[in-house]
Amino acid sequence: MSKAKTETKMDSFQSWAHRWGRVGTLIVLIYMVALPFVVLAAYDSIPSLGEVFNVNTFSILLIYIPVGFSEALSYTPILGCSAYLAFITGNIMNLKLPVAANAMNLTKKQPNTPEGEAIASVAVAVSSLMTVAILTLAAVCASFISPVFELPAVKTASGYLLPALFGSMALGLFASSSSGSKVVKGGIKGVLPVLIIMTVLSLAARLAGYGSVLGGLVGIFIIVMLPIGILTSYVLWKKGKIQVVDKEQKEK
Amino acid sequence: MGDILGGLLYISAFSLVYLKKAYDHCLELGITRKELSNVIKSSLIFSVVPSLSIVVGLFVLIAVLGSVWAWWRLSVIGSLSYETMISSSIAQVLGYASSAEMLESATGRQFGVVMILMSVGMLSGFLILLPFGKKLCKSVDRSAAESGGSTWKNVLSGVFMLVMFSVYIPILLFTDNVQAAVMITGLVIAIGVGVLAKRPGLAWLNNFVMAFSMLGGLVSSLAWVRIFG
Repeated sequence: MSKAKTETKMDSFQSWAHRWGRVGTLIVLIYMVALPFVVLAAYDSIPSLGEVFNVNTFSILLIYIPVGFSEALSYTPILGCSAYLAFITGNIMNLKLPVAANAMNLTKKQPNTPEGEAIASVAVAVSSLMTVAILTLAAVCASFISPVFELPAVKTASGYLLPALFGSMALGLFASSSSGSKVVKGGIKGVLPVLIIMTVLSLAARLAGYGSVLGGLVGIFIIVMLPIGILTSYVLWKKGKIQVVDKEQKEK
Repeated sequence: MGDILGGLLYISAFSLVYLKKAYDHCLELGITRKELSNVIKSSLIFSVVPSLSIVVGLFVLIAVLGSVWAWWRLSVIGSLSYETMISSSIAQVLGYASSAEMLESATGRQFGVVMILMSVGMLSGFLILLPFGKKLCKSVDRSAAESGGSTWKNVLSGVFMLVMFSVYIPILLFTDNVQAAVMITGLVIAIGVGVLAKRPGLAWLNNFVMAFSMLGGLVSSLAWVRIFG
């Protein structure tokens, strides 16, 4: 087993990204945590520890902490070494992850390969710069453009970004699990238990009138469902129900 | 304000360095300049619509937290859904009926609580990413090596994304009619654009399938809200 561990080598870009990505992330984290204290100290408004951390606020953190864990555990293997940049610039699910997946689809590269991670990094970096530019422009021109973004139609449409994103991504995901020169046949079978459990849960929640609550628990569901999906996929792969074949073979 | 600008400049510089390194490495790996150009164009266009949605969130947050803090939170680390949800949750905990009421009446120390909690609440992901990010990336290779077959890596690579979709899609499909209709509309448009892209001279559409279908899905939400709302 120890021999197997030493065989997983990274290329020069992956090694660079893991080293400097961590350093860059750490700097941002320190900056981000320190910033409120610097601003509040300037206005002599630093709250006491008890005001910040008490039973009520802790209950809020209890909801968001698992979401953070879930994002790191589920998104990092997909994003690879572009994860550092994606996490620093945020908006992963609604922007960075789809952009990275789109880039890998366009160039027919797979996650967890040097090519896939490099192309995902290009896409995430471009997307991050674009978002910073648009948000800066919006913040600077807030008084001029805010009426447009406060139109009821724009507000309504922006509330449906996630379903629109999933609709646009679903085709690429389920229609083809092609990865470079290989194609995974029957990969969807491995997550069928997850689909069934989530469908039953969603319908039950809707019937009970708690449908809207489920959206806030996605992070927890992903943590619970990941082992189920991995285990089922592994068993089916071992039994030959999920196969990896050459692309040419699939196309015949 | 200077602190925020400094932070944003750092983020932009970090992104540029990442971009340069990744771009050069893609060329070394044999990815052509044309492919890279397509990826960059597609990523830029694809990023516009979600970024505009984040701008809508920015104006919501400006009403709650003021422009500078909202701008910072949405540019660095934060996400649209997280920021809007946690700010309203904290407003309720602090005893305000709404975020808007909090903006009008909260004291400086109460704003301090909001700012600190928003910053601390997002740290958990980094507690995994910083120490274990490299291991998580290598875990797919390691799992493949340990199971004695390299093809397991191809399967496992896709499982993370499939699980995420398998969690999200039933929730979006079965808990709300408008969400379901928007998602199906996006999917139908993606299929339509994909079919069109197979016609002679329209192959360039392949680069924009996701962007067009997402935009179409968003626009359709206005009709679906009227029908189901």
